[in-house]
Amino acid sequence: MKTTPKTGSPPRWADWLLETCLAPRLLEDVQGDLHEVFHKRVREVGLAKARREYTWAVLHYLSPFFFKPLRRIGNEAAYPSPSLLNTIMLRNYLTISWRNLIRNRLYSLLNIGGLALGMACCLLIALYVYDEWSFDRFQAGYDQIYRLTEQQKQADGIFDVAVTPGPLAPALTKDFPEVAQTTRIGRWSGVLTKGRQAVEAQEMLIVDPSFFSLFSFPLVKGNANTVFRGPNEVIFSENMAERFFGTDWARKNVVGQLVQLNTQQTMKLVGIARNPPTRSHIQFDVLLPFEWLVVNDKWSQKWNSNNFHTYIQLRSDPADVSDIASTFGDKIKNRLKQYNGDKDTQLLLQPMSAIYLRSNFAFATDWGRRSDIAYVRIFVAVGLIVLLIAVINFINLATARASRRAKEVGVRKTVGAQRVSLVGQFLSESLLMTGLAILVALLLAELFLPLFNDIAGKTLQIPYQLPLFWLTLIGLTGVVSLLTGLYPAFFLSSFRPAIVLKGVFNVRQGRSFRQSLVVGQFVLSIVMLIGTAVIYRQLTYMQTAKLGFDKAQLLYVRLKGDLQSKAWQFKSQVEQLPGVALASGATSNLVDILNSGGIEWEGQASNDEFLITNMNIDPDFVSTTGMRMAAGRNFSARIPSDTSSKLGAYMINETAAKRMGWTPTTALGKRLKHWGQEGQIIGVLKDFHFRPLRVAIDPFLFRYQPTNPYFTLLVKTKPGTVSRTLSELTTIYKKLEPANPLSYGFVDQDLDAQYRSEQRVGRIILYFSALTILIACLGLFGLATFTAEQRTKEIGVRKVLGASVAGIVALLSKDFLKLVLIAILLASPIAWYAMDRWLQDFAYKIGLDWWVFVVAGLLAIGIALLTVSFQSIKAALVNPANSLRSE
Amino acid sequence: MRRAFLGEFEEIVLLVVAACPAEAYGVTIWEDVQQQTGRSITMSAVHATLYRLEEKGYLSSTMGGATAERGGRRKRFFTLTALGVRALNDIQEMRSRLWQAIPPGKFQLMGF
Repeated sequence: MKTTPKTGSPPRWADWLLETCLAPRLLEDVQGDLHEVFHKRVREVGLAKARREYTWAVLHYLSPFFFKPLRRIGNEAAYPSPSLLNTIMLRNYLTISWRNLIRNRLYSLLNIGGLALGMACCLLIALYVYDEWSFDRFQAGYDQIYRLTEQQKQADGIFDVAVTPGPLAPALTKDFPEVAQTTRIGRWSGVLTKGRQAVEAQEMLIVDPSFFSLFSFPLVKGNANTVFRGPNEVIFSENMAERFFGTDWARKNVVGQLVQLNTQQTMKLVGIARNPPTRSHIQFDVLLPFEWLVVNDKWSQKWNSNNFHTYIQLRSDPADVSDIASTFGDKIKNRLKQYNGDKDTQLLLQPMSAIYLRSNFAFATDWGRRSDIAYVRIFVAVGLIVLLIAVINFINLATARASRRAKEVGVRKTVGAQRVSLVGQFLSESLLMTGLAILVALLLAELFLPLFNDIAGKTLQIPYQLPLFWLTLIGLTGVVSLLTGLYPAFFLSSFRPAIVLKGVFNVRQGRSFRQSLVVGQFVLSIVMLIGTAVIYRQLTYMQTAKLGFDKAQLLYVRLKGDLQSKAWQFKSQVEQLPGVALASGATSNLVDILNSGGIEWEGQASNDEFLITNMNIDPDFVSTTGMRMAAGRNFSARIPSDTSSKLGAYMINETAAKRMGWTPTTALGKRLKHWGQEGQIIGVLKDFHFRPLRVAIDPFLFRYQPTNPYFTLLVKTKPGTVSRTLSELTTIYKKLEPANPLSYGFVDQDLDAQYRSEQRVGRIILYFSALTILIACLGLFGLATFTAEQRTKEIGVRKVLGASVAGIVALLSKDFLKLVLIAILLASPIAWYAMDRWLQDFAYKIGLDWWVFVVAGLLAIGIALLTVSFQSIKAALVNPANSLRSE
Repeated sequence: MRRAFLGEFEEIVLLVVAACPAEAYGVTIWEDVQQQTGRSITMSAVHATLYRLEEKGYLSSTMGGATAERGGRRKRFFTLTALGVRALNDIQEMRSRLWQAIPPGKFQLMGF
């Protein structure tokens, strides 16, 4: 390329540019001409200028004209190779793909089936994730709305709580110009009556009038600008209106009617709100004005009572929204100190987008519809694993069957196919497969949607009307066909025609790659298998664990309204019922008791403090629940000092005794003070679980204060009498408390419900591990079929020489079992680590027993063996005369 | 057949190729065009026109005549095809018809 060095040469990069951009057929003479002129100019004007001119000239060639292919082939111009996307070649690729598909029905079925399962999973999971993601997005101020939360430093740790004091919202509006508007939301409960009609509200919220301007909850009747200025107003949701006024409420003149709240107060119905959308974290059916609370509850105005969710909307700044939020967040962080002198509590901003998925607050201070980002993560991880396994199958089968395509590749290359076009061909084949698979996947997704909805706890539908859905579908097809197609395409197109056409083809090529893929598939499957086993064992453990009390046949009835003070009357009537063994008043139904307070005790060190959970009970509690005494005696109605207001009696649990430095026996007679009431310890109860088994047993205190309200009546029924007792109980209840409908439940059911999230994770993993194993087995089956086919001759020869069927089956299965064994070895530590992490969440948990791993491993081996042996036995039974006849 | 259509620059290039005594290739054509028209023209414009004329069938080309200055690259020699010759003739004829159509003495009237 270099010319006479003494005259210099044109700039290298300009030449490079020319060589890259010009059509090859034009390059030679154009570059020649340019060089010729360049050398002429070097002589005339010098090297530097000539080089500049050369570059300038080259730049003029950068136009489409010079790199487009020739329209009419000139005389000796080089043969232009037809474009990759030439229609003739495309049609040829499709024809060949289709023929391959039809000829190898089994493989096509395995491939398409596996891929379809994987993609159906992905589709369903994408639906789920989209649904979770789209929560609250209907709110017009989605990006500007925040909820204020508190981070409290308490004696026993730092706690995030979702509630804030009532006066906070007005104070912030006054002090900070950034705040556009605020609204407080409190929770209330009650019954609405009109004449003989009585309906209990399910989600009663107390809101500021700004609720309707800050959020996008429109009123279908009533004027949102004027409602809730006065205290005695109420708004129903459409659902509530229907329950209260009947289905034809819209035709009645309901707005302006007067209804009774809890039979005490008259409220005016000022509007009907549209039902909150399903995808809203705020759900309500009755709204009360904050003004009403101001009149009725003095705590709503106090800085030291946290009762409300406070939402603020920041002024939208077109320049940068997130910046305002962070500077505003810094400003209010320690603002509480100024308002109520609380130095240990920080105010935090929780963006609207985080409320639904990332709310994790202590003391049950959060309410409304919530999910957990952990579910989203688990679903996504599982979906990707399933898809990955399906893709691996495809790659495995495609490369395993490479020998079949080797000749075709050889011939294509000999007649002049470029590698690029071969890659294109194999990619188009995988596109065809994936395209068919996605159609099947759509069918499968539709079929399994009810099951999936059940697992995910949703009511999803496939959004055929959404363009985004079709885009996702196309995108998924593209990505999957690339994933499945790329490796086989490059592998297959790399064959050298001279070798493959001679018939020398090494089947073992790429074998270790295939084997590691199989191992990978089984590692994933076995990890999920072990995960399922561990989760289910932990669930069973939690549901059958001895809780320290007898939860069987234990019924609870909520005491509402007047019943809280008439508990004795109610109790004595219930005890008369033939089906009732025992009954006891209490302040909780024993499920997840959170009511706690500070305590002072004899011999307390100066800086030693803790919170003690407590409950108000009566003397029948111990026998009703079947708890055991560790020391001392039970409360007694006959001993007046037990209920004395001066020096009462307390019972504690063993943990509480230990926490205060006593043994159960030494604790007796000790004095302690709780909520200002002094008392003596008269008994110590054995430990019992009053919270989910995730957390350790905490100190517990029993009070016996009959003058304080009871919230629950625990009823122990005799076996087989539940339904009769319930109807009799309802009659008594209605007589004593006609205003409030009866609410009751079974303690054992409520205890189980605490583990719903674990149950759900368990079910997800169970179904998906079954699916991964199914897909992995599809792949294994394909590979086994292929190997058996490859070794037909070998098997024939072996049989002629006297090999037994069993020996041949063992020979063929051995290779695959080896892979599964390796997978078990790899999967065990991974599963152990993952499940150990999961079990960390539980204070009371099962051990990770070795036999779980062995059983999972054996199961995997068994399934693999079953899959492989079908083909192995078939191959071993073939008459050697048939397999050796043709050559 | 349809009438030959040639742009002004295409016509000039075609005429230059026709007028060239020796074998015409990129550099000589480019120089001649600049000389004849007195304009400064980039070589890429000349090349583009030459190839376009070849595509249209007015020119044909052969490769040959590599020199050291060109780095051993061959030149592309252009010659007129029969179609090219006819196109030039057509244009010439049309022009002379038009010239003849100008009424005698009209230019004198305008002072030329």
